[in-house]
Amino acid sequence: MAGAARRGGSAVYRSRDPVRNLRLRVSYCAQGFPAVVLYLWCCQFEVDLYLNESACQTPLDWQYHEEIRKLEKAGGRKNCRIFTYTDHDRFTNLEELCQKVTDLDHEVPSYLVERMANVRRRRQDRRPVEASSLKSKIITWEPSEEFIKNNHVINTPVQTMYIMGDLGPYGKLGHREYENVLCTIKVDSNGVITVKPDFTGTKGAYRIELDGEKREVWEYTIENASAQVQPEEEEREQRVFRELYGRHRDYLSGLVGSDFEMPLPGTLRLLVNGEIVSAQGYEYDNLYVHFFLELPNQWSSSPFQQLSGVTQTCATKAVGWDNVAYFCYPFSVEMFYTQEDEDSLPQWPVLYFEVLSLDFWQRYRVEGYGSLVLPTCPGVHVLTIPTWRPVGLGPVAEMRRFFIGGSPELEDLTYARIPSTFQGKRLSRFGFRTETTGSVTFRLCCLQQSRAFLENSALRQRMQSVLDRLGGFSQQSSVYNVLEAFQRARRRMQEARESLPQDLINTSASAVPQPLDP
Amino acid sequence: MAELHLFGQIESGCGFSERRLFCKWGLHAGAAWTLLAGAGAGQTQLDDPQVGDAAQWGHPLDLHLATKGLQGWPRLLLEVWHVDGWGRRGLAGYGVCHVPSAPGCHRVTCVTWRPRPTRRQRLLAPGGPELREPAAAAGAADRFRLRTEAAGTVRLQLGVLARHMGRFGVAL
Repeated sequence: MAGAARRGGSAVYRSRDPVRNLRLRVSYCAQGFPAVVLYLWCCQFEVDLYLNESACQTPLDWQYHEEIRKLEKAGGRKNCRIFTYTDHDRFTNLEELCQKVTDLDHEVPSYLVERMANVRRRRQDRRPVEASSLKSKIITWEPSEEFIKNNHVINTPVQTMYIMGDLGPYGKLGHREYENVLCTIKVDSNGVITVKPDFTGTKGAYRIELDGEKREVWEYTIENASAQVQPEEEEREQRVFRELYGRHRDYLSGLVGSDFEMPLPGTLRLLVNGEIVSAQGYEYDNLYVHFFLELPNQWSSSPFQQLSGVTQTCATKAVGWDNVAYFCYPFSVEMFYTQEDEDSLPQWPVLYFEVLSLDFWQRYRVEGYGSLVLPTCPGVHVLTIPTWRPVGLGPVAEMRRFFIGGSPELEDLTYARIPSTFQGKRLSRFGFRTETTGSVTFRLCCLQQSRAFLENSALRQRMQSVLDRLGGFSQQSSVYNVLEAFQRARRRMQEARESLPQDLINTSASAVPQPLDP
Repeated sequence: MAELHLFGQIESGCGFSERRLFCKWGLHAGAAWTLLAGAGAGQTQLDDPQVGDAAQWGHPLDLHLATKGLQGWPRLLLEVWHVDGWGRRGLAGYGVCHVPSAPGCHRVTCVTWRPRPTRRQRLLAPGGPELREPAAAAGAADRFRLRTEAAGTVRLQLGVLARHMGRFGVAL
């Protein structure tokens, strides 16, 4: 025989078929004697079952029955050399406990090993518990021993079968010391079949060398002899699955509809879902925030869109060194950007806000002004904006603020950034005195939507500037329409192609006449 | 239609003035959104922390939403309640946070507030005044009528997965 292979590691297979359909062919030969071939079914006890006529019900059972009768008639089971141990045998228990994992000389199985072995063996007898039944009692106040054993360790039920070879000298069969494990097959309830060592295939037979005077060498091969699934059946199964998934997908889309709200061509829709989270570090208590959004040129919003808001008045509490006020005020703003002029860069909207305090005696003070430019890239942004308030010259303004409230205020809130009335090139704030106060935290989720993003899916991944993406649509609207119609038709053709059954496409390919060879 | 998968957990709540807390949560979204699978509202268990003041809930969230438009992005409304030694329930805080729009894993810290109780209520009753319409806390209308005080924070771990958003030109 060609070079014998070393008994390698295990191989794992997955199958949803019941384990009874697994058939193996084991052939062995010892030193030149002719090979003996044996077919084994995976459940050994079924051999005895089929012997009993009353247990045979299906034609397959009868067939098994006939084969076993033939075996019996031919002088008992001729080969007593190969037999199996399953979970019902004592061998399995010992094997599980005594399995060594490291190369320590005296490896002793730990307590956990014993518990796991107990649990695995016990589980085969029980039916799987229905997981969907709602238990009325969630807590077990006095767990029993068995309950503890089952729930403290993993208990995947595993069926094990050992294919043993009795390699004793002819005539001295049946002795325990000559039993060698040829193959171990483990099947668990999820359809995972572990075969150790793997099927021989093309590798060549496995060898076992016996210790003893003669040092006999046995070679054996294991092959998978299970009936393969017919291609038509497999095709039918695939078709059923595909239909099922397709129907489920249609049902889902039927619930909602397949259309989606799209902005007009050539516009960018910016949707900001944000929250004013908190304000911290301010002098006085009972704070509230008043904010508004300023849209530059080329930006617009629907007339129903609220672009400003006032939060609730919140009393602060001490967290660490700061006094914080929690607002948790959600707002949602939708804006549209249309590019008129290709050369100018787009200006992004700005959120201006002021923090004020209003106390019990209705003294009203300005605590701070701040501004926030909306983020240009979509995503989640948490921003903490520091604020300042204007301070007047001399102590009188501050004393007035302390005793009766009222403080210097900005007439135009946009002064916090660039005043809307500013025309020149250089903004000078010389002479304007302010004092730093606390800060306000915002959490913004920005979304952008535009038809231009549909064009190039690869570019969408990179964070390119919006300018590139929108490029000059207002002048090329007619060209755009034509392109869009073409894309739509192409997509429809692709979808139609996908939904065609595979064999139709294949036969159509083969129907093309092949050129004749000269 | 575009879909949004939201899964994660309501991890814990801390910083409240009381210790034995449970949280009621609900998802509020606009008319364009449909909940395809998963529970849209729920309540955690009551937790009494032995060490520290963070009540650990570990309540799972698993939602599948589908939408016809971007408006009305879903928000999670959280109501934290506490139960005192005599079994009386009182409000500990309201909080609302938008579901993060960027796909990925997010740790969200949602702050909460509650309507300010009078001194008498603080002494005698657990919690304080509650909103007549708790769902109003999810919105921003008429917030300026409220006088509130800062309560604790709720920590959430949210994973967001969006599907077919790119097909409609949405950059998340």
